[in-house]
Amino acid sequence: MTGPTTRGEAPVADRLRSGAFYNVTRAVLSNRKATVGLGLLLVFVVLSLFPGLVARDSPTADTFTPSLGPSLSHLLGTTSYGQDVFAQLVYGTRESLVIAIVAGLLATALAVFMGVTSAFVGGTVDHALSMVIDTFLVLPAFPLIIVIAAYTKHASNGVLIAVLVVTGWSYGARTLRAQALSLRNRDFIIAARVRRERTWRLITFEVLPNMTSLILASFLGAALFSVLAAAGLQFIGLGNPDAQSWGTMLYWAQNSEALQAGMPLWAIMPGLCLALLGASFALLNYAFDEIGNPALRPVRMRRGR
Amino acid sequence: MKYFRQRLGFFVMTLWACITINFVLPRVMPGNAAIDMMARFKGEISPATYHAMALALGVQTRQNLVSAYVHYVADLFTGHLGVSATFFPRSVVSVVGASLPWTLGLVGITTVLAYVLGTLIGILGAWRRGGKLDSLLPPIFIITSAFPYFFTALLAILLFAIKLHWLPTGFGYSPEAKIAMTWSFAGDVLYHAFLPALTILITATGGWILTMRNNMITTLADDYVTMARAKGLSPRRIMFDYAGRNAILPNLTGFAMSLGFVVSGAVLVEYVFSYPGIGYTLLLAVQNGDYNLMQALFFLITLCVLVAVLVMDLVTVLVDPRTREQG
Amino acid sequence: MWKRVLVTVGLSLGLVATTCWPVSSEASILKPSASFVPSANTNALTIDDEGGSLWNCSFNPINPTQSAGPEFGFIYEPLIMVNPLQNGKTTPWLATSYAWSNGNKTLTFTIRKGVDWSDGSPFTAADVVFTFQLLKRYPAADANAVWTVLQSVSQQGDNVVMNFKAPSVPYFYYIADQVPILPEHIWSKISNPLTYVDAQPVGTGPMVIGQCTPQNIMYTANKNYWQPGLPKVQVLNFPAFLSNSSANTYLQTGQANWGGQFIPNIKVFYTSKSPYYHYWYTSDRNVYLFINLTAPQLNDVQVRRAMAYAINRGQVSLVGEGGYEQPSNQAGIVTPSFTSWLDTPLLSTYNYTYNVSRAESILEADGYKKGSDGIFAKDGKQLSFSVINQGGDSDWVASLQVIAQDLQAAGIGLTIDEMSNSAYDNDLFKGEYQLAYGELGYGPAPYYELRSLLYSKESAPIGQVASGNYERYSNPSTDALLNEYATTTNPGTQHSIIDSIEKVMLSDVPSIPMTESALWFQYDDQYWTGWPTPSDPYMDPDPGHAPFHEVVLLNLRPR
Repeated sequence: MTGPTTRGEAPVADRLRSGAFYNVTRAVLSNRKATVGLGLLLVFVVLSLFPGLVARDSPTADTFTPSLGPSLSHLLGTTSYGQDVFAQLVYGTRESLVIAIVAGLLATALAVFMGVTSAFVGGTVDHALSMVIDTFLVLPAFPLIIVIAAYTKHASNGVLIAVLVVTGWSYGARTLRAQALSLRNRDFIIAARVRRERTWRLITFEVLPNMTSLILASFLGAALFSVLAAAGLQFIGLGNPDAQSWGTMLYWAQNSEALQAGMPLWAIMPGLCLALLGASFALLNYAFDEIGNPALRPVRMRRGR
Repeated sequence: MKYFRQRLGFFVMTLWACITINFVLPRVMPGNAAIDMMARFKGEISPATYHAMALALGVQTRQNLVSAYVHYVADLFTGHLGVSATFFPRSVVSVVGASLPWTLGLVGITTVLAYVLGTLIGILGAWRRGGKLDSLLPPIFIITSAFPYFFTALLAILLFAIKLHWLPTGFGYSPEAKIAMTWSFAGDVLYHAFLPALTILITATGGWILTMRNNMITTLADDYVTMARAKGLSPRRIMFDYAGRNAILPNLTGFAMSLGFVVSGAVLVEYVFSYPGIGYTLLLAVQNGDYNLMQALFFLITLCVLVAVLVMDLVTVLVDPRTREQG
Repeated sequence: MWKRVLVTVGLSLGLVATTCWPVSSEASILKPSASFVPSANTNALTIDDEGGSLWNCSFNPINPTQSAGPEFGFIYEPLIMVNPLQNGKTTPWLATSYAWSNGNKTLTFTIRKGVDWSDGSPFTAADVVFTFQLLKRYPAADANAVWTVLQSVSQQGDNVVMNFKAPSVPYFYYIADQVPILPEHIWSKISNPLTYVDAQPVGTGPMVIGQCTPQNIMYTANKNYWQPGLPKVQVLNFPAFLSNSSANTYLQTGQANWGGQFIPNIKVFYTSKSPYYHYWYTSDRNVYLFINLTAPQLNDVQVRRAMAYAINRGQVSLVGEGGYEQPSNQAGIVTPSFTSWLDTPLLSTYNYTYNVSRAESILEADGYKKGSDGIFAKDGKQLSFSVINQGGDSDWVASLQVIAQDLQAAGIGLTIDEMSNSAYDNDLFKGEYQLAYGELGYGPAPYYELRSLLYSKESAPIGQVASGNYERYSNPSTDALLNEYATTTNPGTQHSIIDSIEKVMLSDVPSIPMTESALWFQYDDQYWTGWPTPSDPYMDPDPGHAPFHEVVLLNLRPR
């Protein structure tokens, strides 16, 4: 906790001010890692929006012959409870993705609010908010999640998301505060202050656009954390076992020894999907680091270095 | 000095927050250890028997919240952490004492390894940007760092333990092993630690690579590095003594925190491998409603993180003079 | 260099870990009491039973948190062994015989001579009296509540005489089979027996503790054991598992030979791996859908009857329990263990087989009408309930998903409330639920489970902790039947009483028995033979069931 650690300077303000999102989009498309990550994410978004287009069967129907191998009628076979694995996988996308995105968005919103407020209001408020941020930062997240999930009667998605937000926002808040602090002393912000722009206007129109890539990065970080933590909780049986999600699928597959009892796809596919969704977040995050910090952008090797 | 006072204030505040969370959580929960115990009883339970059980387990009876809080804090600092309901009649202290070394051994060593490995790859990658190593290892580890721990662990068990029979399926040591200060027992412990350590390394190294690589790249652009190059110093010296040393500074706190978090164990890995560490014990405490044990573990974990951060803050002050100037 | 550092660190950490454990210094596990170290697996036996916990290495058998720990049987023994699978058939153990007298108000045990404790001191009737007096002084240790019926326990030479407040024949099982006998010369010196950490237990049983770590209990043979030539098993390992899956893998790979937990797809997962791998599942109790009889609508017997018809128990057994647990009957008599008690003609008169249209017609006759959403309603109140369940038990979660679909199809709504064990126990014991999925106390005859289910004194007002009868059933004539059973040793009378209680189960439907809870048992007979089988069910074979597992252990012979 040694003050700002972000060494990379923010991109030139004026360039970003005019169409920050356009620039981010262009940057993503020109970055191979980001393109791959975005592509993966889009596939999952489509699956979660229209699961019925891809999977014919209902994920809850347990009317098929149990423990079948893959075939044309059951692409990934059936579970030992007589459910279609492919249908469960497709329908499970929505919940896994919703938890990741909602928890990620809320955590990021909280992080932006706390970080930027702390940096711009300054003084005692800054001290107090920094203390709160640092406190949440050192709370052991996963143990806390386990304890809270066990304390609440059954970890419904609302509870799960709340817990993930509480434990997942502080890291982003800390980096955002650091960047907001460095922005505070930039010429264009000082100029705006001299013009006596209102603080909220200043923050909304001058500060936040300049933090776009960092905000996106902290969203992706929080989303990745949420995906993994939620799946972990569901896997050890602290989630809602009646839910439709990849973590719950893994819980049931593990309970049925799917890997070794002739239904390996039942366990491998949701794990693989989790890994791919996580990888898409991680790749995008990696790319945003490069976009936000021009020094990190890939370079061609020069001869004779 | 002001900086030091500030850090100490933070230490105390956070500790207090954690203690209070610990105090409040069990009190908003239904049920208690005596209720759980009833589930195992077969006879009729008279109110007297129930009361006797509650007393034996130290279940809090209704009392003034303020005085309960004061007692709780006092007990915490005098090491009176009570009896564990899961491991009754063992005390919480002996339960934690038995699981702590396993976690320190497994997760501690792998955390240091992951840090060293990640930092080295980060430095080398940044030094030869776009080179073979840089275009291969960082992206691979970034992707593996997004893998769910338990999934990696399950696949590792399936491959190395069940299909290939190279490594054991779980546990900290073989059940038949004679526990003694012998090389064979040490070998047994290492043999059992290999697979869980591998899964932790696969998932934990990526983060360090990324931060170190980024720090290193920014540092390499600094004037003094250019100056060192101009002076014709050996690349090796510039890489490690000049740039590497400075690039490490910002992520020392992160390292300190992860060292502190070692104590929380890798819950999921310990769970999948039945490894008798803190994470596994915490899960047991949670599943059995063992509030005394849960509170003690949670307190211990937070305390370790805070102490690690505090120590690293002091180290940073010693190493990096700039922090001394900061308000 | 790294390797050496690692070895040193690992070694010292491992050592610290294990030396930290025993609190008393004289009980250091670095000096195992028996210096036996197994060289090969062939004289060792390993149990594989997921207990969901690490070992506490305390073998205190009257510890109130685990009324029957693994030490009961292997180390501490009962007076008489009772076999729940053979209608309570008795085998003399620490007592050579027993007799009821004085109108079934006095029970006399003749104590076996020539038995020594594992430290060499002789075992006498005084130890038995001491043990029962200890339970009287510490009610929290009296897990079977024997002192609710006992008047006095005294020694008469080699006999121990127990006087009861009233005739209490069924309590014979709790007193003779479920109380571990403790050595007076050790336990009389212990200031608080409830919290005593019994790290080096001294018992009469076939095993002593060789080495205990949180991860494994290693028992070694007791050289002083009173049954000549036994045990054949020289080393018995009992590792601790938190998850079913890790235990199953251990068993499948042949690292353990005696399994006791649910294995999914057992034919693929286990028995296909070796010709020596076998399993046998039988039962001695039911899993119930408990019905809170104080809840509105559920207090209507017609609603309960409709539910009993609406649920396809066969499908619950097949999907929820993988076919390993048989569907129950509404009479609540577990088969085949208690088949002789089942009133088959009565059962077929009521004929509670899966029948959706019957369920619907019962509800329609009761004034319910199906709404547009397909759910029945009367007076504007929908027939819709919630059921509480222990979310950690995946077989019960799956069973309830079937039950919910069945009830829905018959026009009864059901939402499943998965809970943590603590929260579930709290709501179940206090009666703060509508429906609940769970089990009850049981014993070597149907009486025990039926009493636990129906006896009004087991119950408690809503909001207070009940030890049984969670559905809050109260019927003076049923209570009278259960009381009468306790006064007789005559099998004919006992059977006719149970027949009458079966009629209560069928006509009142106080709760719905769903499946017959399995005694999980897998075994590997490559090295050891003599396991219980369906044709020779000489004892409950589940390795987690104390003290019965001792009998199985003593029957094992090297191949």
